[in-house]
Amino acid sequence: MKISQRRIRGLVAIASSVAVITGSLIAIAPAQAATKDLTIGLTLDIDKLDPQGATSFATVRALGLVYGSLVEVGPKLDIRGGLAQSWGFNASGTELRLHLRKNVKFQDGSTFDAEDVKASLERILDPATKAAARANILTIKSIEASGLDVTLNLTIPNVAILAALDGVNMAMLSSDDIKAGTIGKTVNGTGPFKYVSWEPGQSVKLASNATYWGGKPKLDTITFRIIPTEASILSALNAGTIQFSVITSPLVAKQAGSNLKLYKTPGLAYVALQLNAKVAPFDKLGVRLAIQCAVSRAEVVKTASSGEGKVIGPITSPAYASDPTARPCPEVDLVKAKKYLTDAGYPNGLTIKTMVAPTQFATASGTAQSLKSQLAKAGITLEIDAVDDSTFVSRWLAGDFGSSVANNGGRIDPDTMYTRYFTSTGNLNKVAGYSSATLDANFAKGKSSGRVSDRKAAYTAISKELEDNAVWVWLFSPFEYRITTKNVTGFIPLATGSLIELRKADLK
Amino acid sequence: MKIPGVSRTLSVLATLFGISIFVFLVLRVIPGDSITGAFGIETGALTPGQIAELRVYYGIDQSLLLQYISWIHSFLSGKLGFAYSTGVSVATLTKSSLPVTIELAIIGTVLGVVLGIAIGMFSAKKPGSSRDFAGQLFGLLALAIPGFVLSTGIVTVMANKFHYFPNGYEYMTPWENPWMNFQQMMFPGLVLGIAVAAPVMRTTRSALLETVDKDFVRTAHGKGVPNNKVQFRHVLRNSLIPIVTMTGIQFGYLLGGAVIVEKIFALPGMGRQILDAIMKREYATVQSSIMVFAIMFVLINVATDVIYRKIDPRIKK
Repeated sequence: MKISQRRIRGLVAIASSVAVITGSLIAIAPAQAATKDLTIGLTLDIDKLDPQGATSFATVRALGLVYGSLVEVGPKLDIRGGLAQSWGFNASGTELRLHLRKNVKFQDGSTFDAEDVKASLERILDPATKAAARANILTIKSIEASGLDVTLNLTIPNVAILAALDGVNMAMLSSDDIKAGTIGKTVNGTGPFKYVSWEPGQSVKLASNATYWGGKPKLDTITFRIIPTEASILSALNAGTIQFSVITSPLVAKQAGSNLKLYKTPGLAYVALQLNAKVAPFDKLGVRLAIQCAVSRAEVVKTASSGEGKVIGPITSPAYASDPTARPCPEVDLVKAKKYLTDAGYPNGLTIKTMVAPTQFATASGTAQSLKSQLAKAGITLEIDAVDDSTFVSRWLAGDFGSSVANNGGRIDPDTMYTRYFTSTGNLNKVAGYSSATLDANFAKGKSSGRVSDRKAAYTAISKELEDNAVWVWLFSPFEYRITTKNVTGFIPLATGSLIELRKADLK
Repeated sequence: MKIPGVSRTLSVLATLFGISIFVFLVLRVIPGDSITGAFGIETGALTPGQIAELRVYYGIDQSLLLQYISWIHSFLSGKLGFAYSTGVSVATLTKSSLPVTIELAIIGTVLGVVLGIAIGMFSAKKPGSSRDFAGQLFGLLALAIPGFVLSTGIVTVMANKFHYFPNGYEYMTPWENPWMNFQQMMFPGLVLGIAVAAPVMRTTRSALLETVDKDFVRTAHGKGVPNNKVQFRHVLRNSLIPIVTMTGIQFGYLLGGAVIVEKIFALPGMGRQILDAIMKREYATVQSSIMVFAIMFVLINVATDVIYRKIDPRIKK
């Protein structure tokens, strides 16, 4: 066969092009710079620079590295010193005295002292700030500040307030910045990293803070890169273009190969089927109990969460955790479920609707589907009302639902976790759909006692009432996943979701 | 006397006005507002006084008419409104996101048209043959495989097998780093290109088959014009009108279709901007971004008309 010169030239040109493209695919990754630059993949962008008003996970995580709080929650969920070195309550639990750490500097070089604490707490308490954690410290009557000593005078005995002082929503700000009205416009914290820049929709850049009270971090810079899907984040980790990520989907986490490090931490958040006892047919105890008895939590974990998660009761705070077997039906009991339904006036079963936001959390749709198939066996038809996140929040807050599948945040203290839901004056009581005088009394008891045994008794009673009345159907606690490349060392994951321990991390 | 272009301009303006009203109202009808979008469940912790202040801050305390006038005024002044979550004007956001989406749409269209016409010609050359079957199979598969499946597949294979995912790096514009920009745009452009190629291929094939039997083609062959010349200068040229129409329509679809591709390939384009703004109920950002898309769609239609006249001078009459 004769091949013309023209055709040969054509073939050579095509082959060269293929070689260039293939070569470029293999050798494109830019070399890592000599500095220790960590890139973190996040699915969502931050939405503000005011730490006390931060509500989105992305904002909380990023600003949590820039700002400091008075106390911190450690890896064992213990409360340890942050900007406060020591503390103590008076005998009646109405006064909390805090002694601050010495030589702490803000990133602008000014010194941190008790006046900054007073100004920061007063800013949180000021309704005009719209601070996310205001409700947790409303029992503060007055604040006394002197040098490195701060005293919080409380309206009622409230030892639970100590745990409420942790986190980015309780960030300590410079009193000068508060006076100048620059919070949210300029960023000036006491944390291990300094804010550098924010390119909306793309990235947030931080640099190490050489004057950090815990010592200069080993990482020189941290960049939060916005990669909107978790599957793409995993791909970026596999390709080495990012080195760290926060993942919520158990399916994605399970795909992390041996080339990556997976940190799996039992979280404080929980997934529950919320039943609104103020809306029919959930106003009937029998219907709520029937639903509870028809659901296997282990089955939900297995099918909706790929086997990843821990079956829980109402309280997930480790020191006061509910016993998940102490409920009317610890295991599925369809006979009991049908009897409850019959007694409630539904001998032929019934149809209920549940609101779910599929994009709110990774296992939302799966959980709803699992519940649907399980409830069908008890004669309960579950219709899934899928809505977007903002619609969910709007209807949820208004109590405009019969039942909903929700993933709610947990706290290390049950007081801050549930007072707002299950006390008659709680700001989310409309969402909870249930309150009682005994719950109010037990929450007050739990808040006021300084003795762990007294507090445990109060929270056990609360847990029992919530379960016996099937107020909600508590399902499971998802794991918190952090995936890193192998060269990231020294990171300690926290159940609170905070990334503060990146202050000790290194890139080898 | 009829002034050329006036009725067309008026109909375009009426369409844009209708779109602006529609988008404005739809956003107000769906549950949630800028406050729940920004505060999430913590909205429940806000006092009625705080909510009232926030309604003033977000401008949602005003009547719908005033809100509409305020937004249109801001849109026409070029600021396009204010994006509260980022603290900058929507114009600033759009200035960086629009070029990304336009670049992506152009790459997708060019790849799609080249692939579509080439495979369409390849198929039409021998209708009913195995090469025609192969071409049609490509068209069918390209139509059937959703963009998000193809995107996820490409990302996963390239990252896991070749440790290659340039989109994990910071996005680079063509003038900042053309080589990195090429790498970041190559695969998303290909995914969109395949989506465009399928309808273009099918349109090309049927248009060519219709033209190939025309008298002037037979005449050209009879005059001894070389086959390649007949195919390109006579057959393809006279089949271009439906192909251009289809390309124009597909370019418009690409602007919308880019949302998923931008998300999977982490490109900071208009699609992501709109999606994020819908989730946050940032009214001005959604409304203005959709208006920008609508204006682009209109401009593409105008460009298609111009191209028609170039291809077939008879259309001028």
